[in-house]
Amino acid sequence: MNTLTMPSAGIAIAWIALPFFLGFTIYLLPKLDRILALCMAFVSAGYALQLFVTQSPLTLQLLDNFGVTLIVDQLSGYFILTNALVTTAVILYCWRTDKTAFFYTQVVILHGSINAAFACADFISLYVALEVSGIAAFLLIAYPRTNRSIWVALRYLFISNTAMLFYLVGAVLAYQTNHSFSFASLRGAPPEALALIFLGLLVKGGIFVSGLWLPLTHSESETPVSAMLSGVVVKAGVYPLVRCALMVDELDPLIRIFGVGTALLGVFYAVFEKDTKRMLAFHTISQLGFILAAPAVGGFYALTHGLVKSVLFLIAGALPSRNFKELQHRPINTTVWIALVIASFSISGFPLLSGFGAKVLTTKNLLPWQAIAMNVAALGTAISFAKFIFLPHKADGEEAVKPGFWPAAILLLAGLFVANVVYYEAYSLANIVKPLATIGLGWLAYLLIFKRSVLKLPRVVEQFEHLIGGMSLMLLLLFWMVLA
Amino acid sequence: MLEAFVFATIFCGFFGIILKKNLVMKIISMDVMSTGVIAYYVLVASRDGLFTPIVSDGANATYSDPVPQAVILTGIVIGFSIQCVMLVGVMKLARDNPTLETNEIEKSNTP
Repeated sequence: MNTLTMPSAGIAIAWIALPFFLGFTIYLLPKLDRILALCMAFVSAGYALQLFVTQSPLTLQLLDNFGVTLIVDQLSGYFILTNALVTTAVILYCWRTDKTAFFYTQVVILHGSINAAFACADFISLYVALEVSGIAAFLLIAYPRTNRSIWVALRYLFISNTAMLFYLVGAVLAYQTNHSFSFASLRGAPPEALALIFLGLLVKGGIFVSGLWLPLTHSESETPVSAMLSGVVVKAGVYPLVRCALMVDELDPLIRIFGVGTALLGVFYAVFEKDTKRMLAFHTISQLGFILAAPAVGGFYALTHGLVKSVLFLIAGALPSRNFKELQHRPINTTVWIALVIASFSISGFPLLSGFGAKVLTTKNLLPWQAIAMNVAALGTAISFAKFIFLPHKADGEEAVKPGFWPAAILLLAGLFVANVVYYEAYSLANIVKPLATIGLGWLAYLLIFKRSVLKLPRVVEQFEHLIGGMSLMLLLLFWMVLA
Repeated sequence: MLEAFVFATIFCGFFGIILKKNLVMKIISMDVMSTGVIAYYVLVASRDGLFTPIVSDGANATYSDPVPQAVILTGIVIGFSIQCVMLVGVMKLARDNPTLETNEIEKSNTP
C-alpha cells in the first residue's frame, strides 16, 4: 500500500465499516431508523458511482501476504450499485409500515455485510462477510415470528452454515499450498480444496442443484425481504465465483458449465411453476446462471437482474393472489399490471429496457458451445413471464398495494431505463430482431402448450435432509469436474 | 493419523445432521462438525512446529503457524453465535412442536 492510494484506501475502509456503525446507531436512536438506513444506501450508491468515474481498480493488501485483501473495481461497482438501489427500494417500501428499528438495523447490517463480500478478495474476509449476511438474513426472514417463518429461516441458516463449514476446510487446504488466503492462491491449489470452496459458494449463491433451498426461502419470506434476498443476498455467493473465474483462468470453463446448467435447471422449474413467488424464485436461480455463463460481463447482468427481480417481488406482493390459476379469474389493477409488464419485458430482453442490453452483452461473451443452451434458457424466460403479461386486468381491478409500493417500484423501474446507457451499442437491427423472435416464440409456446399444462413437479428434492445430502453428492461431482 | 481422526469427526457431524431426526440433535451434530473443522485448522497450524511464535533472543525453534489459529478464532466466534441464534429459534418452535422432529415441522410448514 503506497502513499498515493492512501485516501482512496481510507475511503474504502470507512465505507465498509460505516453500515455496521450505523446499524448499531439505529438501535440507539430508533427515531432516526429509516433516515439513517436510507443515508447508508445513498453512501453506497455514491461510492459505486465514484468507482465508475475514476475507473482505476483499487487493490488493498492490509498487513502481510496473509492479511486481508480488498479489491474494488468496476465489476464490484456494479454489484455495489445493485445492493444500494435494492436496499433503497426496500426501505422506501417499508417507510410507512410499522416495522421496528430492529428491522432497519438488520437491513443495514445485511447491506453492509454484502458490501464487504463485494469488496474482499480473500477467503476469510469473504467467510466472515457471508456468515454475517447469513445471520442478518435469518433475522429478517424470522421477523414476523410465526412458526413458518422461523422454520424457513432456521432451514436457511442451517444449510448455509453447513456449506460454509465445508468452505472453511477448503480454505485451509488452499492456504496450505500457497500460505495465503487470497483468491489468487486458488492457482495450484489441490483439487479437493477447489471442490470444497466451490461447494460452499455454490450453496450460498444458490447455483445448480445446491440452490434448491432457494425457492422455499425466497417465496415464504415477507415481500420486502424476498426482494432483498433475491435481488442482492444470493449475489454475495455468486460474486466470488465470478471474481475467481476472472482471476484464475483455469476455473473459467468450470464456472461457465455451472452457469449453463443453472440457467437451464432454474428455467425448467420456472416454466412449470403455478405460484407467482415460487416462479420468481426459480427464475432467480436461472438468472444467476446467466451471470456465471459469461463472467467477464456478469456485473451488468447482476445489476439488471437485481433491479428487475426486486421490483417483481414487490409487485407479486401487491397482487391479490399468489396462484396463477386464481389470478386468471381475478382481474388486477391496470396500473399495477403496467409496472408488471415493464418488468417482465425487461427480464425477457425486450429492447428499450436494460434487460435487453444485458442479454445482448452476455450473448456476445458466450463461448460457442454455450450458445444453444443459453438461447433455450432465454426462451424459457419468455415463456415463464408470459404468465404475468397475459394476466387479465381492468382499471378498477383488485390490488393490495402498500403505501410505499410506488416510490420503490418507480425507483427500480427508472433504474431499468437508465441502465440502458451502459451498453447502448446493443441497438443494432440484428440484435433487436433476435430477442423479439425469442419473445414471440415464447408467447406462442405459452399460449399453445404451457397455459394448459397441469404438470406439477415433485418437491422431494427441496426437503431439508435431501438438501444436506445433496451437498455430499455435489462435492463428489465437483471433485470429479476439477480433476478432469 | 491425527488427520484421519479430524476428518472422522467432520464426517460424524455431517452424517449426524442427515440421520438424526431431532432438530436439537441436528444442531449438536453441526457443532461436532464445526469442532472437526476447528481441529483441522489447529492441525494445519502445527505442521511446522509446536512452539508459540514469540519474538525472543533464543534459538530459532520450530514455530507453529499463527495465521490459521488467528483465523479460526473468528470462525469459532461466528459458529458459536450462529448456534445461539438457531437454538433461540428452536425454543420458539418447540412451543408448538414439542417433539422437534424435523419431518413433522417441515410437513406442517411447507405450503
